[in-house]
Amino acid sequence: MSAGTGALRERLRSAWVEMRENPGRSSLQALGVMLGVASVLGGFSIADSQRRQADKLFVRIGGLDKLNVQPAAAVRDGTTPSAMETANLGLRGADAESGQSLDRPGIDGVSQQKTARVRVRSPYADQERQITGIAGDYLAINGYSVEEGRIFSAHDLDVAAPVAVLGKEAASVFFPTGEAVGRTMRVADTPVTVIGVLQEKVFRFREGQGNQFAWRNRVIALPASLVSRRMQGDSYQRLDRVTFRLPEVNALAGFAKQLDVLLTANHRLQRDFRLDDVAARMKKMRSQGDIYNMIFMLSGVLALLGGGMVNVNIQMATLKERVREVGVKMAIGAGGREIFKEFMTEALLLTAAGGGVGLAIGIGFSKIITASIGIPLHMEATSFAWAYALAAVFGFFFALYPAIKASRLSPMEALRYE
Amino acid sequence: MKTTEPIVAIDGLTKVYGGNGTAVHALRGIDLSISAGEFVALIGPSGSGKSTLMAIIGCLDSPTAGTYALDGQRVDGLSGSALAKIRNEKIGFVFQNYNLLPKASVLRNVELPMLYAGVGGRERRERAMELLAKVGIADKARQLPAALSGGQKQRVAVARALANRPKMLLADEPTGALDSKTGHEVLALFQELHRNGNTVVLVTHDPSIAALAGRRVEIHDGLVRPAEAAA
Repeated sequence: MSAGTGALRERLRSAWVEMRENPGRSSLQALGVMLGVASVLGGFSIADSQRRQADKLFVRIGGLDKLNVQPAAAVRDGTTPSAMETANLGLRGADAESGQSLDRPGIDGVSQQKTARVRVRSPYADQERQITGIAGDYLAINGYSVEEGRIFSAHDLDVAAPVAVLGKEAASVFFPTGEAVGRTMRVADTPVTVIGVLQEKVFRFREGQGNQFAWRNRVIALPASLVSRRMQGDSYQRLDRVTFRLPEVNALAGFAKQLDVLLTANHRLQRDFRLDDVAARMKKMRSQGDIYNMIFMLSGVLALLGGGMVNVNIQMATLKERVREVGVKMAIGAGGREIFKEFMTEALLLTAAGGGVGLAIGIGFSKIITASIGIPLHMEATSFAWAYALAAVFGFFFALYPAIKASRLSPMEALRYE
Repeated sequence: MKTTEPIVAIDGLTKVYGGNGTAVHALRGIDLSISAGEFVALIGPSGSGKSTLMAIIGCLDSPTAGTYALDGQRVDGLSGSALAKIRNEKIGFVFQNYNLLPKASVLRNVELPMLYAGVGGRERRERAMELLAKVGIADKARQLPAALSGGQKQRVAVARALANRPKMLLADEPTGALDSKTGHEVLALFQELHRNGNTVVLVTHDPSIAALAGRRVEIHDGLVRPAEAAA
């Protein structure tokens, strides 16, 4: 007799032969595991796909990689502002510049934003619209790209040139006949020349759903300096928002801390600005989809549990048929331990095979579901590992009882079993 | 009759089923010795205890009291797995209802005892084919038992019993399920095996079958009746 590996191979081969000799009960036994694995893998993958799509939305709408600074009311209602508070200048371009001067190796861009709601007129339309005075890398940070014409030059921003860049929707509303570039429109009674039209931005959470970015196509962008001086503003050229974009989401927290210190100093220790709560945002991002994972994990475990019960049931039912068989094997020299190992080997082989088929079914299942709700499929290697590991554990434990039961049969009784 | 060292040495063997008030004394003090190369028939009516005795001789069951040495080794009181090993190495069973694994091929049925003995695949296969040829059904190796006639099934059972070159063949009513012609063929096979030096113990209730054996041991009410047929 050869060593342990030979015996194991012999046992596996023998179990394989037995499985083939009994296709009915074998496939029933594997079925439970198969469905369990499929549902764990499918659940995880659907949750992952959904979360990935949500993450994409989150990043693209401008959440994850950006840090916003906005003005805040430092003076509480019903109190008289102190001299210091009155003397404060609010959020300005200087804040953006000093933030940039922190000179972290990875500031991707800084944008300044000044919004106003004004009357906008063209030969074709006359509407009250929100306009956005921009400076810095606003368009790039927000993922706009030019379809026609050009965007603002540094000179435009410096001299508050009367020029505008329109989003796709704005262009089609104010110049429905096309050819917006080069035309003139009146924004808060200031004539401005359209120098560019932006590409349409589209993001659908699922195919067939509405465009989540429709509002972005409504943008009417002007130099921030122009908006402050001519349309709505003050001599200090206060801003509504300064945004920093970092390439590394993980660097955001550290940067926020430094920026907070710097701006507090700049603002003479007055808290008249507000930074995004980075910690809360990270937490939200991380927790997104956790609940789905839990639910799907749970349903997968329940499916496996159900499958396991089915498995035990089938094994117990076939045990009756197998008692004679066990008796014969015992008569010709199989000990209880041998019988136990045979049962376990067979069960584990079936678990492995059923698990493999289950993975395939799970892939198909995920594909169908994600296709039907219209999101791209995303599967993680860890989901496969989880699904298979769970199946292995369940396969093992649910195989134990019938195997122990069979191994404890007395050969005489088993042989006489009718 | 060769009377070398005894294969079976049984002394004062009793077997009691149940306990206290409902105890059934199946064997009440059996003394029996079977020598190597003997052909012995255990005969007795149903309820005589011969099946119980066969089970104990075959190490399928343990006695309540008394001693049993098989091939010079005490086996009474051994654990289940030790008995399994002895059954595997020293005893070949042939049952009335064949007890073949119905879904395994004829070849695999014959290989199985060697599998439990740890015989390697190729050797196992060769020996199984050899044995099937010996009992005259090598051409049925790949078939399932269900495709075989009763006589052929019993030949498979005999081949399987011989797989590990046992010290003793133990046949329990081996012709009980066969018509008389095939029954005689199977019995002839046992006689041939006996002539070739195998120890054969045949359990039967039929005196005409028992008459073929070299020695008759009659069991009655859990005891050996001291009436022995001429050798």
